[in-house]
Amino acid sequence: MGFLDSLLGRSRTPKPAKKDRLFAMSTAYVTLDTAHGMTNGGKAGLVFQAEATSDFARIVADAEEVLRATGEETGTQVEVSDDKFGYRWVVVSDPDVEDLVVGLSAIKDSLDVGGYGARILAAVFKFTREGGRDAYFIYNVKRGLWYPFVPGEGEQVRDNEAELRLKAQLGGELPMEPELERWFPLWGVPL
Amino acid sequence: MNRSSAMKAPAGLQARMLLTIFLLGVVYVALMAALFASGASGITIGLVAAGLFVFQLVAAEKIGLRAMGAEEVSPREAPELHAMVERLCVQADLPKPKIAVMRTSMPNAFAMGRSKKAATVAVTTGIMEILSPAELEGVLAHELAHIRHRDVMIMTLVSFFASIASMILQFGFLFGGGDDDENPGFLALVLVALAVYVVSFFLMSALSRYREFAADRGAAELTRRPSALSSALMKISGTMERIPEQDLRAHSELAAFYIARPSTKSLFALFSTHPPMEKRIAALEALERQIQGTAGAQPLPA
Repeated sequence: MGFLDSLLGRSRTPKPAKKDRLFAMSTAYVTLDTAHGMTNGGKAGLVFQAEATSDFARIVADAEEVLRATGEETGTQVEVSDDKFGYRWVVVSDPDVEDLVVGLSAIKDSLDVGGYGARILAAVFKFTREGGRDAYFIYNVKRGLWYPFVPGEGEQVRDNEAELRLKAQLGGELPMEPELERWFPLWGVPL
Repeated sequence: MNRSSAMKAPAGLQARMLLTIFLLGVVYVALMAALFASGASGITIGLVAAGLFVFQLVAAEKIGLRAMGAEEVSPREAPELHAMVERLCVQADLPKPKIAVMRTSMPNAFAMGRSKKAATVAVTTGIMEILSPAELEGVLAHELAHIRHRDVMIMTLVSFFASIASMILQFGFLFGGGDDDENPGFLALVLVALAVYVVSFFLMSALSRYREFAADRGAAELTRRPSALSSALMKISGTMERIPEQDLRAHSELAAFYIARPSTKSLFALFSTHPPMEKRIAALEALERQIQGTAGAQPLPA
């Protein structure tokens, strides 16, 4: 936002980053698996603010339909749910990470083409660490950057050490969010 | 068609905002001229005021929060509030502000801080009790819009010269009594300051009201649920009239940053920092129509 926008009190909700780096995950997961012992959780979700207009509902329904249809070949499954903050999740399940990336990207693109790109918050991929604990990689769609989110033991506790380790290990493969204060957690991820 | 950015820029509102800022500028140039014309004492006052201004800018956030009895809360203390603000911040691509809570049954919320990086959003326990999550989200989005629009910075800047004028007035009353003939320039300065103070007061109130509309619009743009903010405003105003006045610890400078004016009674519209609730709700209704695509080519009552 420029000076004049501030002065005049204009604000626009930013659109998805021009350079889409969602696909970085389709190679990074290999390193995660082989070098860091993190197995793919087989699930990923796209989270967005649902809009109460009829064409929005139609766009999401259409995208879901297409995904289900293609899913019959690839074995990808789709689920839609709302969380307690009123955000909608499209969750895709597939043992193949590349299919997950393609699936989420398809939904993201339909929203974008429909003019609702600014509604999308993030894409989230689930992984399982050694010892059976969960870890997530969150793709901030507006910034086009990734960051790890590792819930620790107890409520609202993050395992910052594990997160920073992941940043150090994967920085070369996933474009990481450099501002740590923007590593926003997503508690209660329906994955 | 590009729906998500289709919300039209409020040309009328922005024109009025620009005009107000321009008029404030004119008034302040007059004051500056008078300051220099009056010689050394005028310049001294200007310097002292500038020092106070810097102090105000740096310390306002802490002082304001303390005056309001707002305490910063950690994510563990208020997980839902933090999660809600975080999601809105991702959506708006804003750094996360600090979050504070005031323990009072009066439903209200405000934003403080001179920049996007040094900002605080505070809500009362009362507002969290009466609002639904969607309504609270609307209110938080309104406060975040204030931060995005740098309203605290802008209102502090425009009040800078008004505070110089008020200082000159106080100075004039204290020392202006005796030797008029020694410094006739000073009397003139006091008169100019009086005029500047009165005029800038009205202009600042008007600007604050316009920025309130702009923040409502910013919130609607962010959540795309203007009706949720409307219903929040209705709930807040309904409760606010019933709650007795002694609960108000606000003084007028802070009131400019509230979501709704703390006292709805006995204030003339010209003096108020917030537009009347009905007007805000009508503007939000127009935004809702626009989002739902039934507005056609109707101009917004901005």
